[in-house]
Amino acid sequence: MRIDGCSDIEDPAPLAQQAAWQDVEPIAQDDGPSPICPIAYTDEYREMMGYLRAVMAAGEESARALALSGRVIQANPGHYTAWVYRKRLVEALASDIGAELDWVSALSAKHPKNYQLWHHREALVERLWPARAALALPEDQRLANPVLRRELQFVGSALDEDAKNFHAWSYRQWLVARYELWAQELAFVDTMISQDVRNNSAWNQRYFAVLRGRPATTQLDAALARAEVAYAVEHIQFAPNNDSPWAYVVGLLLRHAPAALHEELLPRIRALAADPGFAPAMSSTPFYWSALVDIHEQQARALPPAERAPLLDEARAICDRLATQVDITHNRYWRFRKTAVGAA
Amino acid sequence: MSHTFSYHFRYDDNAFETETSVKQIDVEDSIGRIYAKFVDPRTAADGGVIDDSRHRLMRSKHEQFVRDALHGLSSGFAVLDASQPWLSFWSLNSLDIMNCEIDLPLRQRAFDTVKRFQDSDGGYCGGYKQLPHMAGTYASIMALVLVGGDEAFQTIDREAMYRWLMTMKQPDGSFAMHTDGEVDVRGVYCAMVIASLLNIMTPELIAGSAEFVAQCQTCEGGIGPFPGVEAHGGYTLCGLAALEILGKTELLNLGRLARWMCARQLAFEGGFNGRTNKLVDGCYSYWVGGAFPILQKALERSPSDDYLYERVALQRYVLACCQEGRMGGLRDKPGKSADLYHTMYGLLGLSLSQHYMGVDPEAQIRDTTSIYSVPARMMQWDSVPVMSNVLGAQSNMLKPVHPVYGVSLVPLAKCVKYFYSLPSLAASLS
Repeated sequence: MRIDGCSDIEDPAPLAQQAAWQDVEPIAQDDGPSPICPIAYTDEYREMMGYLRAVMAAGEESARALALSGRVIQANPGHYTAWVYRKRLVEALASDIGAELDWVSALSAKHPKNYQLWHHREALVERLWPARAALALPEDQRLANPVLRRELQFVGSALDEDAKNFHAWSYRQWLVARYELWAQELAFVDTMISQDVRNNSAWNQRYFAVLRGRPATTQLDAALARAEVAYAVEHIQFAPNNDSPWAYVVGLLLRHAPAALHEELLPRIRALAADPGFAPAMSSTPFYWSALVDIHEQQARALPPAERAPLLDEARAICDRLATQVDITHNRYWRFRKTAVGAA
Repeated sequence: MSHTFSYHFRYDDNAFETETSVKQIDVEDSIGRIYAKFVDPRTAADGGVIDDSRHRLMRSKHEQFVRDALHGLSSGFAVLDASQPWLSFWSLNSLDIMNCEIDLPLRQRAFDTVKRFQDSDGGYCGGYKQLPHMAGTYASIMALVLVGGDEAFQTIDREAMYRWLMTMKQPDGSFAMHTDGEVDVRGVYCAMVIASLLNIMTPELIAGSAEFVAQCQTCEGGIGPFPGVEAHGGYTLCGLAALEILGKTELLNLGRLARWMCARQLAFEGGFNGRTNKLVDGCYSYWVGGAFPILQKALERSPSDDYLYERVALQRYVLACCQEGRMGGLRDKPGKSADLYHTMYGLLGLSLSQHYMGVDPEAQIRDTTSIYSVPARMMQWDSVPVMSNVLGAQSNMLKPVHPVYGVSLVPLAKCVKYFYSLPSLAASLS
């Protein structure tokens, strides 16, 4: 049974005048005699809500209820109660989920930063193709499935509109983790990074794609650590004064491959800093010096306590340089960082 | 060392433009035009030093903006029809922080409005006959704290609230925002605030919640909504404040968190952004700026060392760039309209920057194992007057607020006193 939730096909007359709604007694909103922050609802909105409350209270599961939920959501996409009701209606009426996804997609164009819309999408996709069934197939077959292809394309186009849309990235993580679409994710991340090397959401997604849902205690193998260092440094070259690749690579290695900080990252960034083409940019960006502090501190950790002093002193001297020259605005932080060197 | 206004602090894009850098530079240009108006002309040759004595909080304009909203909102506000408790909280809290009168008739009206959001099965809803919602519940409870009085507190059904919170609780320690709703760190924060204030904390309610928050810390050091998702100012405050209630801030990598939080303060603007490489926004004055007192306590730093960020620069941003001079209210940034949300969070951020809020390390309650220690630990927070730093006129000074709960101390203490004179739920359940 195909349910149409599009309000432009419906009768635009007030519900009170529609024969199809004659049997329903709307429930008026009761905010008391003198509410604070009262909203001056339009007659149309007030009436829609009165009828929605009535059908929800009656537990009605019908096409007209579905259509009404759609009208309310279009007027107020943040109406989470209407979304929850709509989800139940879609299930109870065995609606065509593809059509429902179309409807949600059309709405997203106007309201990209709405929680409920993306959450509703998750529920629809899971119904359309339960993960348990999907995971029985190998990844390349999962990727070929029209449901997942559509979703990846949809979230991709949302990110085309706004490359940092928090909800879109979050949804993508849900999709990739639930359906284990790890193999294709790094390529997508790389595309987003190449579009804007300063897109921090993309760099966060890189961490997500590299770790593949493994626990925080995972140790990355040396080859993978080296490859990620090379990738980060390659992108640092475009604009050294860009926090994202630095925060990514230092954060990744601190957690998952600490030795690679001084074995892989240090020589590469030193080489870049010595290169006349990059030297001015490298020496003037706080992120280079900040990385050196973290690297030297980690290097020292790997040595016997009696041998740590020179590296820790160097780290502290760099904190001074940051506080007084390179990153004056954050000098309070650097003075604190200096006291914390070698403490852990 | 003072943070002086200088083009030295402009963003260096390394002559490599991307959408991010273009937007950043555009915003800096608009901020720069505003700051330029405050420059002491005698210092112009050096790039200019801002005369911060000129900043004025336009209290009466903001008060009018809020009172107008309390009186009524236009039909366009139907998009906040499911956030009505927030409208009450944002307005009442803004008045309270500014020391504007919330007279008895207003208290009565506010009480009558908010009590109707309560669901008979527990929790508070976004509006009449909607489903109960974590954020709606949080905002309703905080609004009732500001209304104050036994009559208001008595209407809160603690047993039903507890049962509802437990239906929101997930096996991994997190909380859903509503039935069939999204799960994220906001849920943990709301649940911990509600439970700690209403004296309904139990081991079952808090099980795994601290660990869930810790899993939301990203490799950058900030906290995201859910494990794996990008670190973000709003969720960082929620996570850190929840851990402070639970007495478990040590589960985080505090060093990495400190780095990320400090990096959120933009060198030129002075305000905070919410994520790396995003734009400044006045609301992060609270979400990030307001997290510094909690971080300070977690790091066991002394008040005389001061917070890790530049308080003067943040206050300058709020006062010079976030005030809407004609219509009143506070905003995200120049060019954006003022709204109640940015008004409250701008004022909260300003307050938490003017006042040094901390817990005396000598007297600090260390025992965090018992849930009964929660109210005692939360009530230890107070202002350290010698570390006050009010930018501009002294009349700019706002009421001090509690960094975890985001409301002023007197109404908060009265609420805690009321609910902890009642038998704890834990006692009645055991």
